[in-house]
Amino acid sequence: MATEVVEVEGHIIDSLILAKILDTIVDAGADYRIVDVQIGRASTDTSRARIEMVGDDDVLTTLVSRLQLHGANRVVDVDATLQACDRDGVLPEGFYSTTNLATEVRVHGRWIEVENPEMDCAVVVDNVGGVDGGHARTTPMHRVRRGDHVVVGLDGVRVQPLERPRGANPFEFMASEVSSEKPKEVLVAEVADRIRGCKDAGGKLLAVCGPAVIHTGAGPDVARLVRKGWVDVLFAGNGFAAHDIESNVLGTSLGVLLREGRPVEHGHSNHLRVINEIRRRGSIAAAVDDGYLTGGVMYECVTHDVPFVLGGSVRDDGPLPDVYTDVVEAADAMRALVPGVSVSVMLASTLHAIATGNLLPAGVETFVVDINQAVVTKLADRGSHQALGIVTDVGLFAGLLADSLCP
Amino acid sequence: MCPPEHFGVLYEINPWMHHRVPVDRERAHSQWEQLKRTLEQAGAQVEVQEPRPDLPDLVFTANAGIVNGSQFVPSRFRHPERQAEEPHDVAWFESHGFTVEHLPEHVHHEGAGDALPFGDVLLSGYRFRSDAASHAYLSRLTGAAVRSVELADDRLYHLDLTFCPLDERRAIVAPDGWDAYGRKVVEALVPEPLVLDLDETLAFCANSVVVGSTVVMARCPPAVGRRLEAWGFDVAVCDVGEFLKAGGACRCLTLALDVTVGPQGARSAGPGGRSADSSTPS
Repeated sequence: MATEVVEVEGHIIDSLILAKILDTIVDAGADYRIVDVQIGRASTDTSRARIEMVGDDDVLTTLVSRLQLHGANRVVDVDATLQACDRDGVLPEGFYSTTNLATEVRVHGRWIEVENPEMDCAVVVDNVGGVDGGHARTTPMHRVRRGDHVVVGLDGVRVQPLERPRGANPFEFMASEVSSEKPKEVLVAEVADRIRGCKDAGGKLLAVCGPAVIHTGAGPDVARLVRKGWVDVLFAGNGFAAHDIESNVLGTSLGVLLREGRPVEHGHSNHLRVINEIRRRGSIAAAVDDGYLTGGVMYECVTHDVPFVLGGSVRDDGPLPDVYTDVVEAADAMRALVPGVSVSVMLASTLHAIATGNLLPAGVETFVVDINQAVVTKLADRGSHQALGIVTDVGLFAGLLADSLCP
Repeated sequence: MCPPEHFGVLYEINPWMHHRVPVDRERAHSQWEQLKRTLEQAGAQVEVQEPRPDLPDLVFTANAGIVNGSQFVPSRFRHPERQAEEPHDVAWFESHGFTVEHLPEHVHHEGAGDALPFGDVLLSGYRFRSDAASHAYLSRLTGAAVRSVELADDRLYHLDLTFCPLDERRAIVAPDGWDAYGRKVVEALVPEPLVLDLDETLAFCANSVVVGSTVVMARCPPAVGRRLEAWGFDVAVCDVGEFLKAGGACRCLTLALDVTVGPQGARSAGPGGRSADSSTPS
């Protein structure tokens, strides 16, 4: 299959030229996509359309000449400009900065897909001039190495916009909607449906959790989701893991008895004590092995081989030995687990939700559950298009979701 | 108009032309004079362009370009045989006070032969002589919205063989000359069409000149005449048989100079309107 792009300008709507062109493409057995269309406002304004055609090489060659008759001219593409990095971790000036949308770059006349779409990265093309025509990947700034060929400028780069189905309910229109005034049980049932759909299609579920999950008593619900195989990847911080362990070893979260909701004496140090015990054992997995930790989200992750990344922050206590204290390493570890993820649930986590949102390709369906609308809005504002925000208490939400997925 | 001093079928660039069919130059001259007289009698004032020995088709002034008020957009002829007409046309319009603005060199467009104003828009043909790609440039230069129509029959190689505006609501139309999309475009554009069948079309009925309420035609089949008269037009038949040998009739031999295209163009009524009305660039 080959691709050709033609552009046509004029009073193409009223003259039915556009209709004729599209009919001609379909009649020839090719497929098309209108890449760009500008409709003139006044009747005297001309309109312009850019049409991408996909089909067999010979069909497209014939089409290009036939469409020329109707004023549609082939758009001549140019290769992406590549420039070699002259220092490790430093991009060439004018590097192309990525979006989180599916992206292609043109190298030696062929469009190649950029692996792992991620926003705010550069595109590195490997094996330029190789027999396979090279391959392209997104690379964060710190990861480029001297001699890497990086795309500079906008030439030869094209981005596939997300197809956004339009509909009446927020699930049909997953466009960073924030819903605080929707019946929660309906929303939860639909989130569960979407998760089932993604998992059935072979996708992975990524859960991103904040400590409020444990504080609100939803730890056992999330643990259940891990145990039953719904969660494939977990991102969290030191706090979430520490309180999860605290609650399972001592029954408290930040010193508050989860069963009774009252603080225990000297409970404020409980989490420090469990962190200390985990550090004594060297890792969470070691604590599971020797029977110190016998339940909870982290326990289920260890026993069910669910990979997790605990990203550290400046105010962390301890931290747990599993925590990445170098943020760049943490982001790289998260990045490594993103491929294959098709749905993510972000539960009451500002820092990790936004960090994860930055890493995910736009096509990943994302549900952001937080009591604070600002978190949800912030994630949407950062360009994570496919995010549906649900403003509610995470404890209630996680319970309903677990009940729905693990009846 | 340009007298046929040097007219002849010296090359073949449309299916009507056969260089072995000789043109009777004397007859051509008297037919041309008769056409000019008929137009003047109908109320038109005729300017005459000087003929050139090396340009036999200069007589078909409709193809010189597009007149829009004081603006003149010269043609970009498809065939090299006619490309030499352009500087001659440009010189005439410049010397008569017109501002000449050119289409880009890479597109072809054959002037009023392939572009006729109707209502607020300029209807323009493409395929045989003009490029669809020229229409956007034409729109930009004149300020008029252009409706593009693909011509489908090489005998009807110019739009003016298939379309003749009569007034702001009526036009003579020849759907046989257009593709299916073009027919829909004209159908949506013209509220009251006088539809020609293929025989009437090939008799050059659409290649007529409208001056006020007079329609000057090469031939007038009875059905067409009745319809025009019912609408209040007078039909004047002018034999231009010698010119039909080159594929051109009455309108091809004229270019209206009082035309304004686009929304600003003042339209005048057909019957009872001004003597040489602006809706009829011949």
